[in-house]
Amino acid sequence: MTPPNDTIAGMIRPVPTPPDSQTNRDLLNVMKGTSSGYWFLLGLSLFFLHLGGAIWVYQVYKGLGIAGYAHPVFWGVYIVTFVFWIGIAHAGTLISAILYLFRAKWRNAINRGAEAMTVFAVLTAAQFLGIHVGRMWKSYFILPYPNQRGLWVNFKSPLLWDTFAISTYATISILFLYVGLIPDIAIARDRATGWKKVLYMVLALGWVGSSKQWKAHNRSVLHLSGLATPLVLSVHSVVSWDFAVALVPGWHTTIFAPYFVAGAIFSGFAMVLTLMIPIRRIFGLEAYITDYHFDNMSRFILLTSIICGYAYVAEYFISWYSGVEAEQTAFWLRAFGPYWISTWVMIICNTVLPQLLWFKKLRVNVPFLFVLSVFINIGMWFERYVIIVSSLSREHNPAVWGEFIPSWPEMGILAGSFGFFCTLFLIFLKLFPIIAIAEMKEIAIHEKVHGAEGAH
Amino acid sequence: MARLVGIFELPAQVAAAVKQLRGRGYTDLETYAPAPFPEVEDAVDPKPSKVRVLTLIGGLVGVVTGYAMTIWMSNDWQIMVGGKPFASIPPYTIIAFELTILFGGVLTVLGLFIFGGLPKFKIDPAYSSRFSAEDFGLVVRCREQDVAEIDALMRENDAMEVNLVES
Repeated sequence: MTPPNDTIAGMIRPVPTPPDSQTNRDLLNVMKGTSSGYWFLLGLSLFFLHLGGAIWVYQVYKGLGIAGYAHPVFWGVYIVTFVFWIGIAHAGTLISAILYLFRAKWRNAINRGAEAMTVFAVLTAAQFLGIHVGRMWKSYFILPYPNQRGLWVNFKSPLLWDTFAISTYATISILFLYVGLIPDIAIARDRATGWKKVLYMVLALGWVGSSKQWKAHNRSVLHLSGLATPLVLSVHSVVSWDFAVALVPGWHTTIFAPYFVAGAIFSGFAMVLTLMIPIRRIFGLEAYITDYHFDNMSRFILLTSIICGYAYVAEYFISWYSGVEAEQTAFWLRAFGPYWISTWVMIICNTVLPQLLWFKKLRVNVPFLFVLSVFINIGMWFERYVIIVSSLSREHNPAVWGEFIPSWPEMGILAGSFGFFCTLFLIFLKLFPIIAIAEMKEIAIHEKVHGAEGAH
Repeated sequence: MARLVGIFELPAQVAAAVKQLRGRGYTDLETYAPAPFPEVEDAVDPKPSKVRVLTLIGGLVGVVTGYAMTIWMSNDWQIMVGGKPFASIPPYTIIAFELTILFGGVLTVLGLFIFGGLPKFKIDPAYSSRFSAEDFGLVVRCREQDVAEIDALMRENDAMEVNLVES
């Protein structure tokens, strides 16, 4: 059966383009235009970034002596901040990988933001290792590279395990973020103009959503999730072993790995709330990030808060029960010694305040959650401060006890780290979709399918 | 040869059309979807993606590299640390574990590139920004005399539109 030639000729026409889908318009809208508020926030972030950078240059010039390190405390604010940012990173991988494996569909609205947060938090944290050792440009000494001295690194050191854990974590989280972004970059590419079009064309790698591509994509995301799940548990465990393997009272305990992982997820979820609540409000994403999401995140925060609280209690109990005088003294001095403020800030912010989340009304009360998340961030920074500084300043021999007082360069660089993180996040917000569009569409189309079935 | 693009609203319609077309011997076809839908992907090619082979290879290379590197380096310049054997397996397991994940992850992404045909430098002219909105596309390459048959088949499966594109 051959149709007349004019019929075929009449059918040759470009595929017409109807109005764009609602999901695309809503979510790409976040990337459009920049308000004065955005420039103010970006300016503020850049200011702190440069402030921190300038102080770092000053520290390089003057030496690490300006960093408040004094015998016996040689791990101070930099290590505290390193652990803090690594902890923040963990929620991103938990949301994108573990909840993916559990098929928790509610993650779709927040996973992109959380993954981006992970990448930027790891990058922020990694710098602190360099800042802490002082001569950052010698950081490559930690890698096992062939050198003229014929020496290799010490693979029995937890600090080296950390190097491998952190660099693997950074690589995998960047890959995870990028793989998830490819279909969304293609959506943006089809609608962008100018230099952005060129950028998206390169980054989308020619993605068209063919069956072959989606099949490979699905499989890759599944495998990356499977790999990232044990990875996220291992990374903070390895970080905790930096401490637990040492014989310092207050550090030398087997509870550290699960304790740190729970704390990391706790602080990470709080940071997701701190970031996503303003974004949702400013860009009008109430239809995508709903009470249901806040309720679920609050439950996670409540659960991990209870685990943290259990760990705090268990630490005190074991130090008393062990009968080891150094341990008992270390924990007594945590609560009633020179660092008592930090300890009580940590206990109140991390274990007492989150108990309010038992109330359903507060779990979906967005302003309350925002304030609570900021308190949790503060509390978790102090948790690491308490663990690191109070233990080091009160080791076995009272003759070498000392005090640690954070110096202004340390606090400046801490502020700079927030500037660095926020700068990256704000730039990301304007270049890439902060909510995974393809995943939201998957849900929308599934709903359409069920709607169509219901109508028949 | 001609190329027909059918535009569909729902994944089940594309999957049905693909199955019927394949049943009639039209195998040179491709779908474009705004999101992953296994029924569509399996209709085109029911075999599971081969990405998993690369993940496995990456993981195995990683675990072997991790142990081999640490054990060889510890024995290349032997330094006694804490009275432990030069090559201590328990701490090296951590390095081997991390490299398993690292290599496995990198090769998984390589698998996405290889088996997903990325990067693609020339985008199919039949592709339209509708397919990155919410519509599904089904592209069939066929002889000109089969156009009417395929056109009818797509419309039977609730295609919203059927167009011919330059091939």
